[in-house]
Amino acid sequence: MQKKNRFILVALFMPVAVIFMAFFILPMLRLTLASATGPEGLGLYLEMLTTRRYLETLLYTVGLSVAVTVATLIIAGITGVFLQRNDFTGKHLLVAMLTFPLAFPGVVVGFMIILLAGRQGLIGLLTKMATGDKLVLAYSMTGLFLGYLYFSIPRVITTVMATAEKIDLSLEEAARSLGASTWRVVRDVLIPALMPGLISSGAICFATSMGAFGTAFTLATDIDVLPIVIYTEFTLSANIAMASALSITLGLITWGALYLARTAAGGTLAASG
Amino acid sequence: MNKRNHLFYLQLALTLMTCAFLLVPVIQSVLAGVTVNYFVGIKSGLTLRWLGEVWRLYSDTIFRSIGLGLACLVVDLIAGIPAAYVMVKTRSRFTRLLEEFLVMPLAIPGLAIALAILISYGWWTDFRSSWLIILVGHVIFTLPFMIRSVIAVMTAINMEELEEGAASLGAGFPKRFVGVVIPNVLSGILAGSLMVFTLSIGEFNLTWMLHTPFTKTLPVGLADSYASMRLEIGSAYTITFFFMIIPLLMAMQWVSRPRTGRAATEDNTEQARMENQSQLSETTAPADAAASQAARRPGTSIRLTRCAKTFPGGTRALESLDLEVAAGETVVILGPSGCGKTTLLRIIAGLESPDEGGGIFFNEDEVTAIPIEKRNVGMVFQSYALFPNMDVADNIAYGLKVRGDEQDKIRARVDEMLAMMQIEELRGRPINQLSGGQKQRVALARAIAVRPRVLLLDEPLTALDAKLRDVLRVEIDLLLRSIGITAVYVTHDQAEAMALGDRIVVMSKGRIAQIGSPRDVYFKPANRFVADFIGTVNCIESKMADRCLTFPGGCIPVDDLEGVDVTEGGMLNIFFRPEHATVVEAGQGHFQAKVLSAFFLGDRTRLLVNGDTPEPLKVEAPGRQAFRKGETVDILLDLEALFTLSEA
Ligand SMILES: Nc1ncnc2c1ncn2[C@@H]1O[C@H](COP(=O)(O)OP(=O)(O)O)[C@@H](O)[C@H]1O
Ligand SMILES: [Mg+2]
Repeated sequence: MQKKNRFILVALFMPVAVIFMAFFILPMLRLTLASATGPEGLGLYLEMLTTRRYLETLLYTVGLSVAVTVATLIIAGITGVFLQRNDFTGKHLLVAMLTFPLAFPGVVVGFMIILLAGRQGLIGLLTKMATGDKLVLAYSMTGLFLGYLYFSIPRVITTVMATAEKIDLSLEEAARSLGASTWRVVRDVLIPALMPGLISSGAICFATSMGAFGTAFTLATDIDVLPIVIYTEFTLSANIAMASALSITLGLITWGALYLARTAAGGTLAASG
Repeated sequence: MNKRNHLFYLQLALTLMTCAFLLVPVIQSVLAGVTVNYFVGIKSGLTLRWLGEVWRLYSDTIFRSIGLGLACLVVDLIAGIPAAYVMVKTRSRFTRLLEEFLVMPLAIPGLAIALAILISYGWWTDFRSSWLIILVGHVIFTLPFMIRSVIAVMTAINMEELEEGAASLGAGFPKRFVGVVIPNVLSGILAGSLMVFTLSIGEFNLTWMLHTPFTKTLPVGLADSYASMRLEIGSAYTITFFFMIIPLLMAMQWVSRPRTGRAATEDNTEQARMENQSQLSETTAPADAAASQAARRPGTSIRLTRCAKTFPGGTRALESLDLEVAAGETVVILGPSGCGKTTLLRIIAGLESPDEGGGIFFNEDEVTAIPIEKRNVGMVFQSYALFPNMDVADNIAYGLKVRGDEQDKIRARVDEMLAMMQIEELRGRPINQLSGGQKQRVALARAIAVRPRVLLLDEPLTALDAKLRDVLRVEIDLLLRSIGITAVYVTHDQAEAMALGDRIVVMSKGRIAQIGSPRDVYFKPANRFVADFIGTVNCIESKMADRCLTFPGGCIPVDDLEGVDVTEGGMLNIFFRPEHATVVEAGQGHFQAKVLSAFFLGDRTRLLVNGDTPEPLKVEAPGRQAFRKGETVDILLDLEALFTLSEA
């Protein structure tokens, strides 16, 4: 409206604009530039896609993230709706416990998995007692899977619970009044109603798994995931161009996933990335 | 699904298993951190040795993390809150793009951001080796959370309207921002702050890339301790971390839990009270001596010249129009939803500027360029825009405080307003414990407390139920008359317009369709739109033949009509209202028609009849007579009340 107001608005936006410009937009452009101005130029991306190690890592990471996302959605979807719909003693405690790991950094999650399934872990101990063979999962793909599941479940549960809270119960009652069985109600009413929440939290879950560094770092697995490769390229091989190219690829995948989800869900993404 | 059948227990089992998966390692780490020998287990005894060791080795990382978290929080608050405000205020395509940019740090892995920052600023050794580079990374990572959290609350509380409310009472930008915006988004700021601090404390991906041996943070230290392969130290360190985040998580839960105690008063009891009160007010009139002081003041006239409004998107909300409102007059702007009523009112208020060339005058003062807070208008918003951070008395006092009046004067005026609106007992109530009708009264009191030059009301009764609406309509009418203020009242309800307006401005599609007294618009509508919008109207197509207006089924001698001027053989549409066509005894009417349906209204019966006219007609029958479907009735027209219209 009035001109003076516009001036105030611009002034108020300045701090964020400056911070973002200086420490996000320009560096990201610089990163893009760094990936394309090596001796091979854009050929670097071709090299990335044809070198076995890089391609394998990329596929592993995507596969792992997809698997984790699917598993998380199933587990957290069921438990989230269950907790939202039922009241029993100790429920609040249970919810608090389930959301406690929300604030764990990746390294702590890695450590949790070591304690659970590492060489001196609980699972190893139990399997040794039971079968005589020690089962060690932590340092393999399974360990990574468990770790990613560990930090994904709490986030998705909170979103699912929030979505389930808003569902209009009369829809389900209407379906039941029309003769639908429990499974039909779940399939035809509940899941469609949960869909926006599932899509957006699933996308966040996927993106976080793609970019997770701390967990893999702590577990020091024999399977490299993309963030670890980026890290080693940068620090150990000083291959800045390749590290940049891999980062950009990673960034594009995660951003693309979130963008697609947002378009598909049509709403806002829950801010719990 | 609430029955405890096998499904319930299956789900419970899954939930418990998930919980065990998450919790068992936490318990293990807690035990490991306080037992003497991890491999032997708890039997080896409990000790605090490892925690002491952690303190000796890593306390600097803990302090650094707390410091970083606080610094990050400060930056986010200073930069984030204003940015959120701007983004809520300017909803445009450009803002959408900005939002997209602002959420990118959520989408792009920390590692990539860290790499980008390193490549760009790594050469700057002083910066690279200080904790500032980590701070920068944390700010980029956490700022979107702060902004989103604040935006969410700003949108939820309808901040813009609150701000407009404050502006209409005279508050300039700094006062509005500090006094109204910030206090009402505190919950968002608090939630955002906790989130930012927690995220900053636990951030690892960025920090690992950006840290140096001298700038290790807590998660970096944790990674070191895990890598050192001493499980008990790692566990003890993890316990320390748990202790730091548990209070943060609990605070977050507390902040986000739903607040109870909303809208305590039921509208039903409220209604009963109001009805008693309105009887009271008919005898005493709500506005008494106090208010009539204001009436003595010479009123303010409003004049709009060539005011049009085109919104940035290209919507033409208002065609160029002129309008005059005399001092002390109540003008009602009436029209269907979307016709530009609100836009017109906001132009008068100073919340929108008219397109180039338009002018707004209060008496002889041109106020076109004067912002609302300087215009001295009182405004009542459709959703009331009461400030939830203040109680009833503070809301009413707000405009006076902004003007810098003395305490005593303010108190006296607030008392006066509370008495005038008969809401003395609500003085200290928080806003969210008021019923709709009570809010309405507070909003009115707040608007007139500052003795505005003109009072502007945008559909003030729409949010209330029908009965309350009638009561309050009477009260507003009495109030406006007794304080004699110039008022512009916007509504889409024609009954409201008829009851309240000295004059009615009927609007259609951004234009004024007619201006006139309620009688004028009802009895002499300027065109078909007005006739249809206000009340019900019948139309008969007739033809002039033998000095008679002839229509299928009957005729009216033209000599009985005034001012009808049609040549022989010409066509003419005759209009009349249902109450001007009554059922009479057989043989005494102008024409006959068949009853299609009858609606008994108590004092009369409304009939839908079909003459030989193309459309059914609505007519009325007084008294107790009952009608059968298909019955033939005679209908008499009140010839004085017939009218013709120019087609428009
Ligand atoms: N801020 C705005 N930006 C764009 N178009 C608007 C804005 N405000 C109102 N309009 C449009 O202007 C027209 C008139 O709106 P309004 O004055 O609110 O109508 P009314 O109050 O009579 O229902 C509508 O078509 C509406 O969509
Ligand atoms: Mg409106």
